[in-house]
Amino acid sequence: MYSEVALLQNYLVVGALLFGIGMIGFLSRRNMIVMFLAAEMMLQGVSLSLVAWSRFHNDFGGQMLVIFIIAVAACEAAIVLALVLMLFRRTGNLDVAVWGELREDNQLPFEEPQLPEPPTEPSEPWPTLTTAGVEPKLKPEQTDYRPNV
Amino acid sequence: MFEIKTLLILIPAMPLIATLLTATLGKKVLREQSHWPTVAAIGLSCLMSLILVLQVSGESEPVDPDKIGYEETVTLWSWAAVEDAYDYDSPVGDAVYQGDFRIEIVLRADPLTATMLAMVTFVSLLVAIYSIGYMHDDPGYWRFFTYIPLFVFSMTMLVSVSNFVLLYVFWEAVGMCSYLLIGFWFQKPEAAAAGKKAFLVNRIGDFGFALGLFLLWTTYGTLDFHDTIVDGQVQSLGIFGQTMLSTPGAYTTGTVGTAICLLLLLGACGKSAQFPLHVWLPDAMEGPTPVSALIHAATMVTAGVYMVARCTPLFQASTDAQHVVAVVGGFTALLAALIALTQTDLKRILAYSTISQLGYMFLGLGAATALGITAGMFHLFTHAFFKALLFLGAGSVMHAMGGVIDVRQFGGLRRLMPTTHWTFLFGSLALAGVLPFAGFWSKDMVLAAVHDQAAVHPLYHWLYLAGLFTAFLTAFYTFRAFFLTFYGEERIPKAAGHHAHESPRSMTVPLMILAAGALLVGVLFGPTGGFEGFLAKTPSLAYLSAIAHETAGHATGEGSHLGVAIISTVIALAGIGLAVVLYLGSPALRDRLTRVMDAVGLYRLSHGKFFFDEIYNVLVVVPIRAVAWLCYWIDRTLVDGLVNAVGLFPMLVGAGLRPLQNGMVQFYAMAMVLGLLVLIGVLLM
Repeated sequence: MYSEVALLQNYLVVGALLFGIGMIGFLSRRNMIVMFLAAEMMLQGVSLSLVAWSRFHNDFGGQMLVIFIIAVAACEAAIVLALVLMLFRRTGNLDVAVWGELREDNQLPFEEPQLPEPPTEPSEPWPTLTTAGVEPKLKPEQTDYRPNV
Repeated sequence: MFEIKTLLILIPAMPLIATLLTATLGKKVLREQSHWPTVAAIGLSCLMSLILVLQVSGESEPVDPDKIGYEETVTLWSWAAVEDAYDYDSPVGDAVYQGDFRIEIVLRADPLTATMLAMVTFVSLLVAIYSIGYMHDDPGYWRFFTYIPLFVFSMTMLVSVSNFVLLYVFWEAVGMCSYLLIGFWFQKPEAAAAGKKAFLVNRIGDFGFALGLFLLWTTYGTLDFHDTIVDGQVQSLGIFGQTMLSTPGAYTTGTVGTAICLLLLLGACGKSAQFPLHVWLPDAMEGPTPVSALIHAATMVTAGVYMVARCTPLFQASTDAQHVVAVVGGFTALLAALIALTQTDLKRILAYSTISQLGYMFLGLGAATALGITAGMFHLFTHAFFKALLFLGAGSVMHAMGGVIDVRQFGGLRRLMPTTHWTFLFGSLALAGVLPFAGFWSKDMVLAAVHDQAAVHPLYHWLYLAGLFTAFLTAFYTFRAFFLTFYGEERIPKAAGHHAHESPRSMTVPLMILAAGALLVGVLFGPTGGFEGFLAKTPSLAYLSAIAHETAGHATGEGSHLGVAIISTVIALAGIGLAVVLYLGSPALRDRLTRVMDAVGLYRLSHGKFFFDEIYNVLVVVPIRAVAWLCYWIDRTLVDGLVNAVGLFPMLVGAGLRPLQNGMVQFYAMAMVLGLLVLIGVLLM
């Protein structure tokens, strides 16, 4: 026998985790596709807790709602991916920070924080070998197609 | 067909149609033919006005013994009506009337109205015909012929309405037409300024007039002239209705009565350019000359005289007000005549002469006897003819001289412009008051009326002397202008160019008709008693003879009238003689006299128009400017500052919040998450 309450709690914890991970992903990632995935994850976290509550209350309203959410999410995915594709075609870049034009006039555009270059020590001169012998000739078909690469 | 009621409606309707027609079609369709609607409409109105005079004089004969005077009213429609608006104690009897507040568009016909209508439309017709020649080639031709019938409409309505409110409305309407026509050449700064001045000075008078109407309303509870009769029952009393006129003591005397009269007089002073408010009329000469002739000499400026004559019963109730009217009139007549002596602008001389002659009219009205009021109205009637003639003659000279109107720059024009010369001579003789001409009869009547009153109050004796002296001055300055223009060495200014010839027939024919009028109207209507007898049937004036029966009448000696006539003729001839000596005789004598006058300061005083413009500038214009500047400053700094401060608040908030809108999606998402957390936190607490 298992406890209904414990079951609910487990599911709610998983739902909350999904939601939280999704939220953190959405906030921290700049790749538009990843952001979309993170958003989907939040959605699924909420859906999961809805299903859990539905089960707990023995009311199928929640599950029905989840079916709706899945349907809507599917449509949303189609639209979002189309949008992302369009945006990508404009700039060749999936970085969301490129699209900052709706800021106020006097606000500076987002700039990639530049990490300071690590101090490069002058590389030690490695010993080199003088070329010796003849460079092996490759067959013409090997330059076009290399099965081991 | 020619019923009085129909005529009354048609007379103002014709110019109204003409003005609408010219206003809509003038610019594009009629162009150079814009005068036709005006001339046709005013011609018809003039014809109908003459028929109206005949009808009224036929209808008012024999005199109905039960009624005071003759009047006929026609109601067009009701403008405003509030039933049982107030209770008021009737000044007649004990009845308390449930008063309805009504303003109905009512026109009236009585001898006073008929006379004014005939005079106004006749002079307007001649001026309109004259303007065809005078205004030709003006770019605003159609505009001119839109304003003129609009003015004629307003003026005919002004004299034929039977209600103080409507009188006020059309009083303002003629003022507006005057403003539009003074500023007709509005590109010229002087003309625009003159129009503004006329309008503003008239505002002062009109303010007094409006206060007078309020006082009339609170005193008598009505603003109608006539009794409103429904099914044979008197529904409400009119101020000059039969009931009020036939009841002794119906008119309020004492302070209220005097206040009403003085406020109405203030309005009349504004419109008729009497002493404190006379300064606008000389400047109004910036308008086209036909306008000066029509509006600022013959018709509109006499509206004040008409109004005071119409309000005779009110003025009868206050002797003080009568004295004020007489003093204002006499003083203005003398003052304006003194100024006219030294002016060099032909139109300005005539303008001051108009002010002076209007002063005579008020002097006659101020005598407040039946003779005096008739004399004032008669002088108005004859003055319209000869002053319009003089102005049109001056316009003819101006037309020929290429717009130059300074009498020092031209001279000896009598050979060049023979018709203008002899018509101007007729006008001058009439203005000077030489025996057979119109001005003699009316001016003599005014002086005789004042002379009669000298026995009643010593004030009138002085006014009589002032009137005689003014007559002398009038004869002198009129002939000074006449001689300077038409006699002496022939001089033509360069500006004249090829214009220096007699004016076209459309201008000379009206001059000749008016010259005939200046010769004949006096002798036809004056000594025959025709004008006096006709006008005496006006209810307001018939009231005088009604009360005269009760107060045993006043002694009038024909002998004294003859004496006045002889004295005034001698004086007029003396004035002309002086002008002949000075301006046809030796210039040396003239120069010596000028120097003597200049030495005692009189010449400068007269030439500077007694410095009224300067005095008013210091007393009125400068303080008002200062107040206006203060208001401007308060508006700019305090009011605008407050509004700007209120406007600054959202701007500052916006500036503070602007960095939030930085265009970074993650930042927005973070803001949403934080907001959500805050919301949850609040809900949990």
